[in-house]
Amino acid sequence: MQMPVLWVPIAIPLLAAAALLSVPRRFLFAKEAVSLFAAALNLVAAWTLFGKEAVYAAPWAGLGAEFSLRLYHFSGFIMLAAACFGFFVLVYSVVFMRGKDHARSFFVFFLVSLSLTNGAVLADNLIVLLFFWEGLLLTLFGMIAIGRPQAFRTATKAFIIVGICDLCMMLGIGLAGHLAGTLAISAIRLPLDALGGLAFVLLVIGAISKAGSMPFHSWIPDAAEDAPLPFMAILPASLEKLLGIYFLARISLDMFRLTPASWASPFLMVIGCITIVAAVMMALIQKDYKRLLSYHAISQAGYMILGIGTCLPVGIIGGLFHMINHALYKTCLFLTGGSVERQAGTTNLEGLGGLARKMPATFACFLVAAASISGVPPFNGFFSKEMVYEAALERNFLFYLAAAAGSFFTAASFLKLGHAAFLGPLRQELKSVRETAWPMLLPMLTIAGICVFFGVNNSWPLEHLIRPVLGPLSAAGHGSPGVPGEHMLVIVTAVILLGAFLNHVAGAAMAGSGLKAIDHIYRAPVLSGIYEKAQRKVFDPYVAGMKIAENFAKFSAAVDRKMDVFYDKGIVAAITAAGHRLGRLHTGNYSTYIIWAVAGMLLALVFVAG
Amino acid sequence: MATLLILLPLAIIMVLNLPFKDAFKRAAPFLGGCFYLLQAALVVFHPAAFWDDIYNPLEAFFAFECSTDALSLVLFLSIAIVGFVAVLVGAHALKNPRQRFFLINLLLLATVGMNANVMVTDLFSTYVFLEVTAVASFILIAMMKGEGALEGAFKYIILSVIASVMMLLSLALLVLVTGQTSFEAVRAGLGASPESLFVKMAMILFVCGLFVKGGVVPFHAWVPDVYASAPSFVSVFLAGIVTKVSGVYILMRLLVSVFGFEASVQQVIMFVGALSIVVGALAALAQRDFKRMLAYSSISQVGYIVLALGCGTPLAVAGAAFHLFNHAVFKSLLFVNAQGVEERCGTTHMEMVSGLGSRMPVTGWTSVIALLSTAGVPPLAGFWSKLLIIMALLNASRYGYAAVALFSSVLTLAYFLSMQRRMFFGKPHKGMENIREAGPVIVGVEIILAGITVGAGLLYPLVLEYFILPVQRVVG
Repeated sequence: MQMPVLWVPIAIPLLAAAALLSVPRRFLFAKEAVSLFAAALNLVAAWTLFGKEAVYAAPWAGLGAEFSLRLYHFSGFIMLAAACFGFFVLVYSVVFMRGKDHARSFFVFFLVSLSLTNGAVLADNLIVLLFFWEGLLLTLFGMIAIGRPQAFRTATKAFIIVGICDLCMMLGIGLAGHLAGTLAISAIRLPLDALGGLAFVLLVIGAISKAGSMPFHSWIPDAAEDAPLPFMAILPASLEKLLGIYFLARISLDMFRLTPASWASPFLMVIGCITIVAAVMMALIQKDYKRLLSYHAISQAGYMILGIGTCLPVGIIGGLFHMINHALYKTCLFLTGGSVERQAGTTNLEGLGGLARKMPATFACFLVAAASISGVPPFNGFFSKEMVYEAALERNFLFYLAAAAGSFFTAASFLKLGHAAFLGPLRQELKSVRETAWPMLLPMLTIAGICVFFGVNNSWPLEHLIRPVLGPLSAAGHGSPGVPGEHMLVIVTAVILLGAFLNHVAGAAMAGSGLKAIDHIYRAPVLSGIYEKAQRKVFDPYVAGMKIAENFAKFSAAVDRKMDVFYDKGIVAAITAAGHRLGRLHTGNYSTYIIWAVAGMLLALVFVAG
Repeated sequence: MATLLILLPLAIIMVLNLPFKDAFKRAAPFLGGCFYLLQAALVVFHPAAFWDDIYNPLEAFFAFECSTDALSLVLFLSIAIVGFVAVLVGAHALKNPRQRFFLINLLLLATVGMNANVMVTDLFSTYVFLEVTAVASFILIAMMKGEGALEGAFKYIILSVIASVMMLLSLALLVLVTGQTSFEAVRAGLGASPESLFVKMAMILFVCGLFVKGGVVPFHAWVPDVYASAPSFVSVFLAGIVTKVSGVYILMRLLVSVFGFEASVQQVIMFVGALSIVVGALAALAQRDFKRMLAYSSISQVGYIVLALGCGTPLAVAGAAFHLFNHAVFKSLLFVNAQGVEERCGTTHMEMVSGLGSRMPVTGWTSVIALLSTAGVPPLAGFWSKLLIIMALLNASRYGYAAVALFSSVLTLAYFLSMQRRMFFGKPHKGMENIREAGPVIVGVEIILAGITVGAGLLYPLVLEYFILPVQRVVG
């Protein structure tokens, strides 16, 4: 059945972007009004289309690449989520971007991104998908580049890293289409043999790089500092995660039909675990609000990849549920970061403190989102993480261990972040800080509300959004809504969270005013020796533990920096050196050139003759 | 009637050089421009009466046969577009009416050679018209009599002579084997002795000669010197179309209509193509001069066309033809950008100009479009041709070459982005704050060419229908 209506969600934001470009600059608020209207319309369209099924196909590029779109439950769900975030972040940006340079370019890129995301999600043909997917590369580049003056460098870095991954995906798409004999996503079924496996790995590189997983992450923290903040909230935190994990799920579930027995399952799980642990260790030592959040955006992607990689229904459901939960709380967290930046003028944690009194609503949103990301019951992150744990434990204890360790450090770093930014004494220069304007507050409050709703009433998202994706695959008893079945796991989680809390309290006491509070007992003649020992005994494990953690974090950071150097300097230096060498070969001496040509001819002759 | 495309420019040249008054000679650019527009219109509107009947009035004097097919049409269109741009930009850049007059004559003369090369079906005529084009090009390069340009022209002559020697030798061998020079007769003669070493040598000699003409590594060395030292409007013409017709198109035509795809020759062609892609891109990274970088970029892009051609499947050849067309458009655009920058800033050295983006917005943005198309970013035309090439390589199970083609796109992006950043982004250098946008002619040409790139990408279904599928049928 032909349903041209599927064009609507692609066309609306695109037309609005075109309209934005043609509106004269002197009309005040025109760009904001047009963008808001388009985002709202897009949301309505996505809402109307959600839950329906439709296909649309038109002859297009030929050679098997017809322009085919397919709306079904999964794509409708992703599109709806993307439209929601698009709308919320846009409402927020209207105030945030006011008076900033390049505001109009920002809105244009924003709307084009929305349009391309809708297109990529609806695409039922790999070439069509690639078309939209690569288009997002351009808006990514553009949105970073309009940030701080030095942002161009970061934008180039992002462009190169993501571009290379997209090229891998392009190769994978070509290979998959060649092997399967069709480019229609819903018709491709491939085995994981040598070439099929190569296609799988190449496609996965494309998907997880979009989701921001290691080792393709290193542009994200840089972009967090350089790009305009709503960019982080909309692209790396929500749209790209949704898209990357959506495509990963399509690859694993539809195109390759992974089973727990195949090698691809541990392959994905290992990537997931490394991403979880390494990124969160790096988050621990960050001193900037936005940069810290960006490392968590990387780390959380690991849970989703781990969940899908388990190839168990409960893990897949958990992974997908985590995807939508993460998009919710991470968007909210970035938005609070933006509020802090706008009101306090900095996101450097050393210059912040005590903002809770000045910005109570922002702080409340932060609390909800931070509790969600740390997996505190009854917020949404808790339920999805429990499902991922359950699946990971069923596959192998080590995977569970990595995921649980990730949880501990996530909680620890958010306690640190909240404490440093919102609690503690209010700094002198922050005395005049006021609460954020309501158009910025409203999206944050709404998203925080959804976090609570998805947690307390988790049967609704699970039944209406997630489980239909798996269809008959979703096994009974696993991944069911309500309180998680595995009580042991819940208890372990509670212990972990408590541990993280105590760890924080102890740490704060050691470093801050708590230490001075016990000074007089400490100096008492008899007790001092005991305390010294006690301190050594009681706190040594803590210090040692923190030292190990710190060293490991430093090690991870060093690895991260090395990767950075590898991308930034290593590759570039090698290539430039090769280029200069080649350049020097061209001496301008024509006798040399003649020798080359004749030698080339002789070689070709010898080759053909031999 | 199609032979008019050879005769008409010839007639225009003759008429222009009759001893009329100078006022008439001033109309030369107008006449030249009209001719190219006419050629483009003939391809686009495709009047059957013109194309179907190959009437050759010259047959009485010279024995050469002509024919046209879908592949020729692609080339006629490319020649018309690039020729038109070269006339406009050249007439704009040269203020001296005499120089203008020479320029138009030479452009038209080169076009005579190229249009004939596209049509003839005889090996010896191919060679003759190659020389016609080459001689016109030598003079075009050296026209402004700059020291570098004279040196570049000299190098081009020397290497062209070597190419001529190779091709003549090959012709001699082929005549020895088959006794004739027409495409059909040679093809039949070769079919009789397919495995003969003699024949293979003859083929590879001709192919190597064409490699020199097309500027493919390691036969390429004259390219950077010539493109960088010639005036930009000449580089537009040379890089956009001359080397493509006299090197790549003839190779295409010979493989498709005469030699066929012999396995070892195919391997040589693919290897050389891949080598060109990589070497050209790497060398482009190290360049400090915009025009020189564009020259290396040309080498790299020709590598794509040659690689696809070597693959030999109908899809691959169609992809090669489309990439040839795209390259003609976006490389011309970049050289026109270079002309604009050179005019305003007096140099194209990347370290001496910066921050032009805000001063010359049209030039800046059209160069962004051209570079994205070169690197193969959707929805621009370059994306589709690269996609076709890579799909064809994969379908032919040439995985390694597909990977090379794909990942060299990254290098392409790298050198173009660094160029873009140095020249167009950032703050203007001291003394460059008052640079103005290039003149209306340059800006107009830039917009037209960028429009073609964007349009061919967006209207890809049409391109496929009228362009790629017919070429595929020619091969398959």
